[in-house]
Amino acid sequence: MSLLAIGSSASRLSFKSLRNASLNYPRRFISTANEEFDVVVVGGGPVGLALASALGSKTELQNSLKIALVEAGDLSKIRDWSPPPGTFSNRVVSLTNASQTFLQDIGSWKHVEKERTAPIEEMQVWDGVSDARITFSMSELGLPASSDGMARLTETLNLQRSLLRHLNITPTVELTDKSKVMSITSEEIPGGWPLVHLDTGRVLKTRLLVGADGPNSPVRSFAKISSYGWSYDTQAIVCTMDHLPKGPFLSPNTTAYQRFLPTGPIAFLPVSATASSLVWSTTPSLATALKASEPSVLARMINAAFRLPDVSIRYLHDRILEAHQSGKPITDEEIKAEISWREQSHSIDRTSAYSSVTTEASASPGIPPLDAEMVPPTVTSIQTGTIASFPLRYNHTEAYIGEGQGSRTVLVGDAAHTIHPLAGQGLNLGLGDVECLARCIHDSILQGGDIGSYTSLLPYTQERYFENHKIMSACDKLHKLYHTTSAPVVQLRSVGLEILNELDSLKAAIMMSAGSVSRTDRPLSYNSDTRAAMFNLAAKGVENIRTAAHVAGVVKSGLAGLAANVLQNLAKAASSAQQEQRKDV
Amino acid sequence: MLPTRLLRSSTINASEIAHFSRLSAEWWNERGEFSFLHQMNPVRMQFIREKLTETAYDELPEEAVNARNVKILEGLDVLDVGCGGGLLSESLARLGARTTGIDASESNIAIAKHHASLDSRLSQNLTYEHAPAESLLQDPKRYDVVCSMEVLEHVDNPAMFLKTCAELLKPSGHLFLSTISRTPLSYFLTILMAEKVLRRVSDGTHTYSKFINPSELLEFFQKYRSPSPAAEDQATQIRPWITRLYNGEPTRKEAEIRGMIYNPLSASWILAPRGAWGATECNYLFWVRKPALIDAISS
Repeated sequence: MSLLAIGSSASRLSFKSLRNASLNYPRRFISTANEEFDVVVVGGGPVGLALASALGSKTELQNSLKIALVEAGDLSKIRDWSPPPGTFSNRVVSLTNASQTFLQDIGSWKHVEKERTAPIEEMQVWDGVSDARITFSMSELGLPASSDGMARLTETLNLQRSLLRHLNITPTVELTDKSKVMSITSEEIPGGWPLVHLDTGRVLKTRLLVGADGPNSPVRSFAKISSYGWSYDTQAIVCTMDHLPKGPFLSPNTTAYQRFLPTGPIAFLPVSATASSLVWSTTPSLATALKASEPSVLARMINAAFRLPDVSIRYLHDRILEAHQSGKPITDEEIKAEISWREQSHSIDRTSAYSSVTTEASASPGIPPLDAEMVPPTVTSIQTGTIASFPLRYNHTEAYIGEGQGSRTVLVGDAAHTIHPLAGQGLNLGLGDVECLARCIHDSILQGGDIGSYTSLLPYTQERYFENHKIMSACDKLHKLYHTTSAPVVQLRSVGLEILNELDSLKAAIMMSAGSVSRTDRPLSYNSDTRAAMFNLAAKGVENIRTAAHVAGVVKSGLAGLAANVLQNLAKAASSAQQEQRKDV
Repeated sequence: MLPTRLLRSSTINASEIAHFSRLSAEWWNERGEFSFLHQMNPVRMQFIREKLTETAYDELPEEAVNARNVKILEGLDVLDVGCGGGLLSESLARLGARTTGIDASESNIAIAKHHASLDSRLSQNLTYEHAPAESLLQDPKRYDVVCSMEVLEHVDNPAMFLKTCAELLKPSGHLFLSTISRTPLSYFLTILMAEKVLRRVSDGTHTYSKFINPSELLEFFQKYRSPSPAAEDQATQIRPWITRLYNGEPTRKEAEIRGMIYNPLSASWILAPRGAWGATECNYLFWVRKPALIDAISS
């Protein structure tokens, strides 16, 4: 599980302006004629657009749903987005098969430009300190090799554009862009509905107000839903990297790589044969220093970060930080010399894939080195203008539905939860929310329910809150687990990872819950692929009894190693204590 | 056998009305006193939808039924007897029914009217009236569907109440009821737990002796015959609403009993499958169909 999703770029409205606005606009707004809607979605990011598409695509509900989507930005820019081939936007999302199936069901997937997406057929994840490695591949999942991969890397803009194209042919949804939400109030009668005041002077009265408006959600502040969370003191650097195509004896560029460095995970996500996307979570100071230096320095550091031992990477980071602080950012020549020296000192063979500077082997068309598949292709350059960074946060609201004064509101996507991008689940969770909320609204309408009522929305919270919480805390724990270099922890996590790597069925289960297998909401209509996968899983379970014996061996040696380590540390501590005593004497 | 006190002209129990009038402000608090009813509403509607769809497929061409997929009640006259705050009436109106909600408590009707006025989609086909069901009999208007949910266990004279509901239906009209069985389980759940121990429902809401078993409803409709349209062919030619039982069950086209089970973990009700064992020991839904005119006379 390595990939990433970057938070939806929903309209970010400043909370301050919202508050001021509500003070400046007294009741006179309420007396004006309000336009009435059944659903108003605030935020034109992928999640908001997907919800509008999902609701609009249900043709049988056409007469029961009047939908509006409000976005502060200019959506026509996204609608007309047409980048030259070969260049890729830096914001990519790994859409799980579950997300893809959902997008297919609502009819927007066919508007995605497939040539600009790439399947992921294998994932390699390893420990930055111990190099313990886990591999997830298609065959382990029991999926046929010809199928569409475990996930598909798609530019966020490509996804947004497809949703906009789909909404163009969906008459029930009114798209209102370039309209800022000035304030949100509610009718001043008991049980009154929310009123959304736009800067254009329009007032939208709505049965259900959906907050798809990102981490600083104005809808959330209107509904007075509190949230808890923390910032990670980590910045994610993103960019699009150019590299040489993989050689003739190698698999195509469909493997995602992720290395857990103590400063944060670095992920390499293939988007085409010669371009891949980077998400590198690291310390804010290093992110600033790297962004300030030449792009080629970043390219060299990316190569080094996937290849060199942790001790060398720490040294290189210190060099870059020193240079940045002294006001003279490190040059390409300097960093090349440093990396080359580190490679020699670690005696990395010049024919090995682990050397990125010393050798030109990667450019030669000959037989690839034995370890060629262990690390991603060597990055040659960074596409101009694609380097960016953003801070990472963990945030989960205490509820998804507003109550009391803020009733008739519901939160989806980043407005409800912000997650560490290390497992690439952010937008997938948001699309999961949308799928579930659209289903709840549909069911409620069939039963004559009021879609803004607590009772109609309760199944949405019940289904999504725990599901999201589970994945969010798993990612949070992973981040914290890999943040440390403490020897016993490193040893334990490495043993854990290696055990996991041996247990195929457990791996398959993890991938299934991460959405690699498309899941339908109708439990009896499993498609044959899923059924085959389940069957394989059961069969593998039997096989695993044998593996378990082997694993027990691994655990034993791991624990022995751990014990030895502890003893060593004790001995060290004892000897240093002795030395100090001697000094005292 | 249902208690019959035929002499009284009304089935309304004054103390019951006073009880619900006191609580009327609470009707639309979805997490308060009436949260159980709010959660039950989707299941009642599901049952109404399923039953109406099923009978529609029996009688109409398939395309006609498919066409009104969402608005299954479009064009039907529906009466909700004992509508309370209008929980069910609003849902019926949203599915297209020309709905009339009646209640014996004036404050309930006031609350229902206020709440419906908030939703402009309801204004066209939902009306409320403060009236006992019996008073509608004088009016010539008859209904395609009569619903009376969680009312039967609060009325004084259930037999007469059922007769009133039955007479308010057009021929081949549908009568939907929901109520509570008189069993040890229902005493434990609806009175001991809900009212006394957990206090989720106000004390005194339910009276055990007024609960009615499904078999009693079946028995009633096995005997009940609609008054003949032409006075001279007396009752002999008209079939009862339920002609016979098979293993204690009515046929699918005449009547149906389905249990409702509360799941406290998900705070929701489940519509038990047909004939599920023990499902009707507590809350249950009942559907019965008035015989068609031709059918009633010829059989």
